[in-house]
Amino acid sequence: MAEAGRAADEATDRLPAETVAAKVTFVAFGDAALLISAATDRSAGLASWSGMVAAAIDDARLNTPAIGRPVPTHASILVPFDPLALDLDDAIRIARDATASVANPPQASATKPDPGAAWPPLVEIAVRYGGADGPDLDLVSDAVGLRPADVVELHAEARYRVLFLGFAPGFAYLGGLPSALVMARRRSPRERVPAGSVAIAGEETAVYPLAMPGGWRLIGRTDAVLFDPGADPPARLRAGMEVRFVPVTRT
Amino acid sequence: MTTSAGANPLEVALEILEGGVLTTVQDAGRPDWTHLGVPESGAADAWSLTVANLLAGNEPGAAALELTLAGPTLAIHHPIRIGLAGADLGARIRGGRRLLPGRSHHLRAGDLVEFIADPAADRDLGLRVYLAVRGGIDVPIVLGSRSTCLAGGFGGFAGRALRAGDRLGSGNHASGDHASGRPAQGTGGPASAELVWPAADRPVRSGSPGPRPSVLRVLAGPASGLDALAAAAWRVAAAADRVGVRLEGASLPPGIGGETTTQGVSWGAIQVPPDGRPIVLGADHQVTGGYRVVGVVISADLPILGQLRPGAAVRLVEVDRVTAVAALREQRAAFLAAAAALVEAAGWDALVDSAGG
Repeated sequence: MAEAGRAADEATDRLPAETVAAKVTFVAFGDAALLISAATDRSAGLASWSGMVAAAIDDARLNTPAIGRPVPTHASILVPFDPLALDLDDAIRIARDATASVANPPQASATKPDPGAAWPPLVEIAVRYGGADGPDLDLVSDAVGLRPADVVELHAEARYRVLFLGFAPGFAYLGGLPSALVMARRRSPRERVPAGSVAIAGEETAVYPLAMPGGWRLIGRTDAVLFDPGADPPARLRAGMEVRFVPVTRT
Repeated sequence: MTTSAGANPLEVALEILEGGVLTTVQDAGRPDWTHLGVPESGAADAWSLTVANLLAGNEPGAAALELTLAGPTLAIHHPIRIGLAGADLGARIRGGRRLLPGRSHHLRAGDLVEFIADPAADRDLGLRVYLAVRGGIDVPIVLGSRSTCLAGGFGGFAGRALRAGDRLGSGNHASGDHASGRPAQGTGGPASAELVWPAADRPVRSGSPGPRPSVLRVLAGPASGLDALAAAAWRVAAAADRVGVRLEGASLPPGIGGETTTQGVSWGAIQVPPDGRPIVLGADHQVTGGYRVVGVVISADLPILGQLRPGAAVRLVEVDRVTAVAALREQRAAFLAAAAALVEAAGWDALVDSAGG
C-alpha cells in the first residue's frame, strides 16, 4: 500500500511542466478569495511549485495591495483579496499571470532535491526518540513491522523538505518520509500534544511547535524552538528548507 | 510582590475582577502571517468592534475587549469613555445604570462594570459584545496586531484570556490624539455627551435560541453539496468557539462529507468532515484544512456568524457572487453613513479622518 503510494508520487514528479500548467484551475473560494489548484491525481512533489506561485503572487501584491497573503499547500494556493477593491476576474487574471511566471513547475519531488539548485542550509533537529518523548514509537513499530530502533534509524536517516506551513503557528509539513513509515493518523486526536513532539502521519513528518490538540503519531521530542512570535522570522522552518533529525540520548 | 500582571499601576485604566467566560483583547486581526500557519485572529464580529471603537473615539481597528456570553467584572481606575457594541449581555454599573450596546458611556474612577444577563429581556441576544476604551487597550503589537492568538499563546494580554487580577492600560489610539501622542484620558474633548450609534449596532437578524433562525448567506463550492445543507434546519452545537462553529440537528445524505488534500481555507468556510456534521470556520480558524468545503459564508454575514450562540437556529441560504459583493458594499456604505452621522453628533472632527478614509 505504502509502496504503491510512493510509486504514484514519482509518476507525478515526472509530469512535464506543460502538463502541470494545463491542469491548473482557478476557482472562487467565497467572495473574498480564490483557490489555485493543480488538478493532478497525486499532489506530492507539487508543494515547491505551490511555493513558487505564492512567491510570485507576493510580488504582485506590491502593485495590488487588495490581494492578501497567499497560503500555499501541497498542490494549491489560496489567495485572499478585497472584493470591494478587486473584481474576481481581475484577481484571477493576476493569479494566472503569477502562475504563468513560474516557468518550470518542479519535476523534483520533496525527496529528491535538484542537484544544481541552491538550497537553504540543512537544518538539523536533535530528537529524543521513544519513551515518554515518543509514546507512539512502539505502536508505529508494530504497525509497520520494524523494530523500534529501525524506525528511529529510518526516520533519522532521511532528508526532509519543508513543503509548506499550516495547521498551527510554525507547523511545517515535511515531505520525504520513508515509505516504510507511512501510517494513518489517529482516528481520534489527542487533546494535548506537548510542544516539540516529533510526529509522523501519512507521507509526512512534523514537529509540533506548541502544545495543542493533534492526531499525528508521536515518535520523539525536541527542545528546538520552532516558533517564536518575537523572533525574526518567527518560524524556524520555511518552505523549501531541508531538514534532518539527529537522535540524541537522554542526559 | 503581586500575582497580578499588566500595566504600570499609574497607567491602569481598568482591572479584571472576574474574567467571565472568555474575555480577550482583539483588534482588526493579523492577516499577514497565514503562510506561517498563524491564524488571522481579530474580533469575531468585526462590525461591532469597529462600532465600539468609533463610539469610544478610537481608530476603527483599535484593540478592544471581546466579551463572550457571560461578561467579566471590571474595576475602573480612571475616568474613561468607553464604547459598547454587539450583543446585549446585560452590562451595568454595579448599583447604578445599565450600559447599553450601541452607545458610548462615561465611567468614573471606582465604578464596577458587571454583566448580568436578563433571560426575559431579549430573544435576540447574540454572543459577543465589544468594550472599547478611549485610546485603545494598551498591549504590545505582536506580528502586526494586538489580537490574542489563543492557539499560539501570544498577542493580546500575555497571549491568553483575561482573568482576575489582570490590569489594563489605555493607549494613545484615540483618533484625535496622534499629534501629541499623549495617552487619552477619558472625558476630555468636545464630545462629553453619550453618543448613540445612529443605525442598527450590528447586522444580526437573530443570534439566539428562539423561533427565528439566523440566516447565513453562502457562496457554493469548491466541493459540491451545499444544496443539501441549505435544505436542512441547523442548530449551533455546544462546540462553538473562536476557531469554528459546529452545526447539528440534521443528517446529510452520505457522500457529502469527506477528506481532501490539505488546502488553505478562509474564515466562513463550511467544512464537512466524514461524519457529516458541518463546521463553519471562525476568526481563529487554522489556516489550512483537510475537509471538504461545500460553501463559504459571504463576508457581509461574518459578523452574524460571530454572534451565534450555542443552541441558535441557523439556516444556510445560497446566494450568487453579485449578491454577496453588493451586500458587502451596502454594509460598508451604511457603516460610513452612520459613522459620519456620529461624527456630526459628536462634533468630533478628528473622527472623520479615520472613519471616512
